Amino acid sequence: MDIGIGLWCLQSTATNPRSFGRAYQELTEDAQLAEQHGIHSLWLSEHHGYYDGYCPALMPAASAALTATETLQVGTGVLLLPLHEPQRVANAANHLNQQFPERFHLGVGMGYRPIEFEMKDRHMSQRLKLMTSGLDTLSTKTETPTWIGISSEQAAERAGRRGLGLFISGAFSKEVVNKLIAAHRAAWEKSEPNDTSPPPVGLLRNLWIVDTEDEQRQALNWVRSSYLVYAGLGWGADNTGVDFVSEIETSMNEVEKSATVGSAEQIAEDLSGYDVDLVVCRIGYDQPPRSALTDVIERIGSELAPLAREF
Amino acid sequence: MRLLLDLRQITDHVERQRLAVQADTHGIWGVVVTGPPGAETVEASAIATATDHITIAVDIDGEAAHPTTIAEEVAVLDQLSQRRTMVILRAGNETRNTVTALLKGLPKEGVILSPPPAQAAVAVYGPEDIPRIEISQGPEQLAELIDQHRDANEQFLVVATNRSVKELARHAIGRAASADFPQMVANMADQIDPIN
Repeated sequence: MDIGIGLWCLQSTATNPRSFGRAYQELTEDAQLAEQHGIHSLWLSEHHGYYDGYCPALMPAASAALTATETLQVGTGVLLLPLHEPQRVANAANHLNQQFPERFHLGVGMGYRPIEFEMKDRHMSQRLKLMTSGLDTLSTKTETPTWIGISSEQAAERAGRRGLGLFISGAFSKEVVNKLIAAHRAAWEKSEPNDTSPPPVGLLRNLWIVDTEDEQRQALNWVRSSYLVYAGLGWGADNTGVDFVSEIETSMNEVEKSATVGSAEQIAEDLSGYDVDLVVCRIGYDQPPRSALTDVIERIGSELAPLAREF
Repeated sequence: MRLLLDLRQITDHVERQRLAVQADTHGIWGVVVTGPPGAETVEASAIATATDHITIAVDIDGEAAHPTTIAEEVAVLDQLSQRRTMVILRAGNETRNTVTALLKGLPKEGVILSPPPAQAAVAVYGPEDIPRIEISQGPEQLAELIDQHRDANEQFLVVATNRSVKELARHAIGRAASADFPQMVANMADQIDPIN
């Protein structure tokens, strides 16, 4: 099991206002720190037109992180494909693959905010059609490893039928995660694939390495408050127990239940229960002080990743 | 008049980065980069990350994307490069006006860029706004062309050359800035510190 970190959204939130210049500088610093400590990958995330400057252009951001490092892998978790021109996405991915062979991963998703579609003169009702045609274009124009961000079993099945990897949200319970993986695998097997190995599954998990109960409570509060962003963005997912629009408190409780905050050994024990290829440690919260973030990056690399490699 | 080294015809990305770093080191004001549609700011970001001071002029196909998408990519690039971005936009007037407005932080049809560019306004030019010269011979050819464009009051000049970046810097930066450039000093510098 590989261990990555995410999600780098490069925001300046109301919870933690900061300079964008600093945020973008820290992207390359954090990428270098992750690489230095043997972490597999760093993952970025996208939204458009949000007050906090949530990064709307992941490809140049990925390019900066890749240029600043030598072996670290960088992924988009996820680029909102219906909001982009697919040929341009393919060109950007190919350019990154050429410059940084086998280091770039293209995670894509459909998006869920109507206003983001309107900004691009599109409509939410078109998103499935745009996603489908976008994936059709990518399948012929790029060989970049592609992962699909999903929030429903139907979406997992669609990804499986295409032989594409899964990128599962950190907000879902273990039960929901296993259902999504099962749906993906069944659809893949039913598609009579040429490959003998199933497409990879990546899983975001909220976690933090701590040594005391006080630190544990603090980290869980950071996890909870990090989802205030998604309450503001209006994220809700079908049949998953997560709906930050209309059930924020219940959803925050679900997120806290699925978070793993403890020693590296405890976290590794929990992660060993997932049949996935990659766990992306969701640590890119807006509340922790800078020193806490850099400390946990070091500890994930030096304590957790070696344990996870044994799975 | 400020000089920009044209990297668009350099096919190897390692060579592009090497030349950009040299240009940065030797005080060339900017470099011009591009890529296939969608990859322009990817290339520019790599160059920005590898350099410290140089302006990155990114040449973008403005008809291949929604103007908001282009503006967003440039705004992110400007944050990544810490205010070192300018744009050469190949597009019609409507697209150019929209991208220019957004990169000034102005709302356009209900859209405001977030994050904004780091600069107060990212400059947007058309390809016809910035002249370009090609240098294959030595300092004499360079001097003649620099003088011509400087005296025409050009704001910028793009220079494509297969010759040394240091030679360009030594013989052209000062000349581009002043009609009183002491060529003798540059010539003597070539003797003291030969350019290979």
